[in-house]
Amino acid sequence: PMEVDLDKLPSGTSDPDKLAKMNALLSQFTEDQMNRYESFRRSGFQKSNMKKLLASITGSQKISMPTTIVVSGIAKMFVGEVIETARIVMSERKDSGPIRPCHIREAYRRLKLEGKIPKRSVPRLFR
Amino acid sequence: VMSSYWPFGLTGCLSVGQPLPETVALVEDIVVEYITDLVHKAENVASKRGKLLTEDFLYLIRKDMRKLHRSTELLSMNEELKQARKAFDVNEETLVVTNE
Repeated sequence: PMEVDLDKLPSGTSDPDKLAKMNALLSQFTEDQMNRYESFRRSGFQKSNMKKLLASITGSQKISMPTTIVVSGIAKMFVGEVIETARIVMSERKDSGPIRPCHIREAYRRLKLEGKIPKRSVPRLFR
Repeated sequence: VMSSYWPFGLTGCLSVGQPLPETVALVEDIVVEYITDLVHKAENVASKRGKLLTEDFLYLIRKDMRKLHRSTELLSMNEELKQARKAFDVNEETLVVTNE
């Protein structure tokens, strides 16, 4: 049986019954399932925050869990791309230390050229 | 949104020590704009049919193999958890009945 880090388990609830149930369920998981579950739990933005953000963008309260999960995953990978590209910019410029906004801006420009950033259908009024 | 993200290791990605607050703020702006534009595009796709669906987002990233693969992975894990919980609840009910 796998060692399970209980700090990583809670599915966003403090309900002791739900937690106990979740722990019991997870103790049945195979090692492979557990790895995938931990990766799932670490998948990035907190679901409650993402749900709120999506609700405010769509103007609708009904944001499904699968949609929240997918957008969180996509956004997290996008952040990874921005940071990866920023690091490449840094090494090209032989800059060291923490990543600076100028690196992020250049990374953003390059990703835009690669078509990795959705184009706004409504053009910005001020550039 | 970003302040909920730091516990998940973005700090380590941005720098060895503390990330610069101005960098964090810029990345947050960029991500929120990205999500907003992504949602608006998905709504455009959905409007021809009606309600916004998860599939609309999968359609938008269909050419990005990494994102598509990861998304379907996350969705299947979520579904697996749902089914596992259901089966678990059913088993528990069975337990109660047989113990009486």
